[in-house]
Amino acid sequence: MSSESILRVDHIDVFYGDFHALWDVSLGINKGDIVSIIGANGAGKSTLMYTIAGQNAPANGTIEFKGERIDGEGPHLSVGKGIALVPEGRRVFRRLTVHDNLVIGAYTPKARANIDRNIEKVHDLFPILAERANQRSITLSGGEQQMLAIGRALMSEPELLLCDEISLGLAPVVIKSIYNQLEVISKEGITIALVEQDVKRSLRFADYAYVMLEGKIALHGTPEGLGEEQVKKAYFGM
Amino acid sequence: MEALMQPLLNGILLGGLYAVIALGLTTMFGIVKLVNLAHGDLMILASYLSLALVTSIGINPFVTLVFVVPIMFLVGFTLQKYLLNRVLGDEMEPPLLVAFGVSIILQNLLLLVFTPDARGIMTEISVKTIQIGNIHLPVLYLVDFIIACIVIFSLRLFYNKSFLGKAIRAASDDVGAARLMGIDTRNIFAIAMGIAMITAAIAGVLVGMTFTFYPHTGPQYLIISFGVIIIGGLGSMRGAFVGGIILAEAQLLGAHFTGPGYQLLIGYAVLLIVLAIRPQGLFGQAH
Amino acid sequence: MIREPFKYRWFVLGAVFLILATLPTWGSDYMLLMGLLFCLYAALSQMWNLLTGYSGLLSLGQQAFIGFGGYTMAVMTSYYNVNIWLSILAGGVTSVLLALFMSLFIFRMSGIFFAIGTWIFAECLLLWFSNWEYVKYGTGLFVKPPNPPSMTMIYYAALTMGVTALAAVYFILRSKIGLGLMAMRDNDAVSSSMGVEVFRSKLFCFLVAAFITGTTAGVLYVFQIFIQPYKAFAIDWTVNLVFIVIIGGIGTIEGPIVGSFIFVLLSQYLSEYGHISLLLLGIIAILIILVAPKGIMGTLQEKTGFELLSPRRLFSEEPR
Repeated sequence: MSSESILRVDHIDVFYGDFHALWDVSLGINKGDIVSIIGANGAGKSTLMYTIAGQNAPANGTIEFKGERIDGEGPHLSVGKGIALVPEGRRVFRRLTVHDNLVIGAYTPKARANIDRNIEKVHDLFPILAERANQRSITLSGGEQQMLAIGRALMSEPELLLCDEISLGLAPVVIKSIYNQLEVISKEGITIALVEQDVKRSLRFADYAYVMLEGKIALHGTPEGLGEEQVKKAYFGM
Repeated sequence: MEALMQPLLNGILLGGLYAVIALGLTTMFGIVKLVNLAHGDLMILASYLSLALVTSIGINPFVTLVFVVPIMFLVGFTLQKYLLNRVLGDEMEPPLLVAFGVSIILQNLLLLVFTPDARGIMTEISVKTIQIGNIHLPVLYLVDFIIACIVIFSLRLFYNKSFLGKAIRAASDDVGAARLMGIDTRNIFAIAMGIAMITAAIAGVLVGMTFTFYPHTGPQYLIISFGVIIIGGLGSMRGAFVGGIILAEAQLLGAHFTGPGYQLLIGYAVLLIVLAIRPQGLFGQAH
Repeated sequence: MIREPFKYRWFVLGAVFLILATLPTWGSDYMLLMGLLFCLYAALSQMWNLLTGYSGLLSLGQQAFIGFGGYTMAVMTSYYNVNIWLSILAGGVTSVLLALFMSLFIFRMSGIFFAIGTWIFAECLLLWFSNWEYVKYGTGLFVKPPNPPSMTMIYYAALTMGVTALAAVYFILRSKIGLGLMAMRDNDAVSSSMGVEVFRSKLFCFLVAAFITGTTAGVLYVFQIFIQPYKAFAIDWTVNLVFIVIIGGIGTIEGPIVGSFIFVLLSQYLSEYGHISLLLLGIIAILIILVAPKGIMGTLQEKTGFELLSPRRLFSEEPR
């Protein structure tokens, strides 16, 4: 675990129309870490992810990725820089086959060069995707679609992988298996930011954690440093 | 039975042409979920462009494709990017109404520039026929059919196998997710329209050679295109091919039995019947 | 911020009505003609607005009822010497029957297929009538009523239709049917299947629109004295109605009125320029959709008051 920063979010505010979604949010992620972002529904976690991915432009503050400013650029540009988002709800391309979903994940010129090798890698991580390669992704189960969404994001050769609520709606045994593969991905050197509602699992898994409440960072620290009671209080705003 | 062979065979050939006419509409509708009501008029624009080139520089109509195809690609790309993309959204009406407006503008522009006279692009093969037994097949119909098959096959290949084709399909499935992949969706839809206009350009040149046309024939071909889509099913290229043939057969066989004045009417009647009993068409997904 | 009801609208509408009602007494023949056309277009466009702006039924085939109603009137009065007013009403009745028949085919489909279906029906009617000996093929029919009405009578008939159309829309929208349509309007964008109640409401609106359109057409062709299929069943009608409602403001009651006013003036002013006028109309319509999608009345209502009967949210307010 290095202490070299890969992502710096500095005092950003994000508005949806009149709604103040993120208030003076700052965080830092170190290269190679797994960082958890925890909070209840509506705490602003997804907003934060989308903002980092470039979908929303912060009203003020900056976001730096590998030292370069990326705030508000648009998601189709940030993916070329090495940030990939696995969106909430998976959002696989339903009418395309599993194989084609992965292919589309490698849309950027940089990723296209290694497309076959990367598909192999994804197949190694999630063998079921190799089995279902020519099936339309709409026929996949929830867990399989989640694996596909992660695999698809990996196709762009990201350095930072943002995972938004990947355990939503999945059976515990499936979640466990996906998390195991996330560990493998992390060992390859990819930095992971994990948005979750499940506190226990997140803390067990992460190198660092942020707790969000109502659009603000309420608490942050290492899992060892943060007591469970403390986290629960921050989570519920007590 | 012998007497029926002529319209039957002609119907198959004509059906191919109908299919390629409808192709741009069905791909935009089925893939990008945009109904381009100006589709017929844009196709006729291509016919007029070809005519202008033939009469001014005297080149062969097939050669005009070299110019007309890129021009129409640009027309489609620009139209989508700067006009239609702006009104794409949840409601179906705005892009329809804008396309409707474009249709009116085009028709009247063509009227002003080319006058309301009937036009046709004449070539040496316009009146030639091939004789098979007792049947005379117009060479032009045959050429139309062959070119149509090539275009349909190529387009299918493009959308299923090529990177760009898959990107277009992905973007129409989920715009937001596509952007996360790095796809610039504004441009992608414009490219898709450009490609649809390429097929419209080819169709337009063929139609210009095969039939007479006026500034206001656009809507007629729009209805034919819809007929093909309704019968064959939305967004399916295979469906466009089959739908085209069925529609053409209905028209020609109907005309054979009731007389040429009712040709269009019978085509429409078949269309309405299909709409009533199997609205999703033969190869389309259920609505 | 709660907005005050825009009560002035009724005063304005009342004033307009008074002006129109008394027009024959003080207006010139030319003004009477303008007034007549205005009322007719107001009625037709109000019905198109009812369908597209409120019921979610984009119709590209109103000309089917215009032609059918017009021809019914012409045939009944010219061939069978039926009283002119009865003939006009008969036009409305046959239009309703036509609408019922059409619904068998097109009501199963939503959105664009419905729209194209209406258009195809109109085209079929065009072809049928231009090939039909009974109505003298494409050469057309003269309207020769046994009791030819005066210009003033025709004018008042047109005014009646204009008011009827307005009243019909107003009362439908305040009724249970209207509230039901409002309730489903926001969900309609994604649903292609229709619940039975919604289906019935839409069908009802479709039939009412057919009746009023057909009757109005009867008045129109009494005035024009001559009807032929290429004009009566032409898509041009739809083009004009679309223009009127887009500019006036789709989904507002005053929209068609304002739009008709502008349209009648514009088309008189531009009539010498022929096709350039249609070109201009198209360009203006597109510009309005891009810049002020709610039309004149829609934008006005947004700025000043509220919507008495809020229309379908046709043009999304969120940026894309």
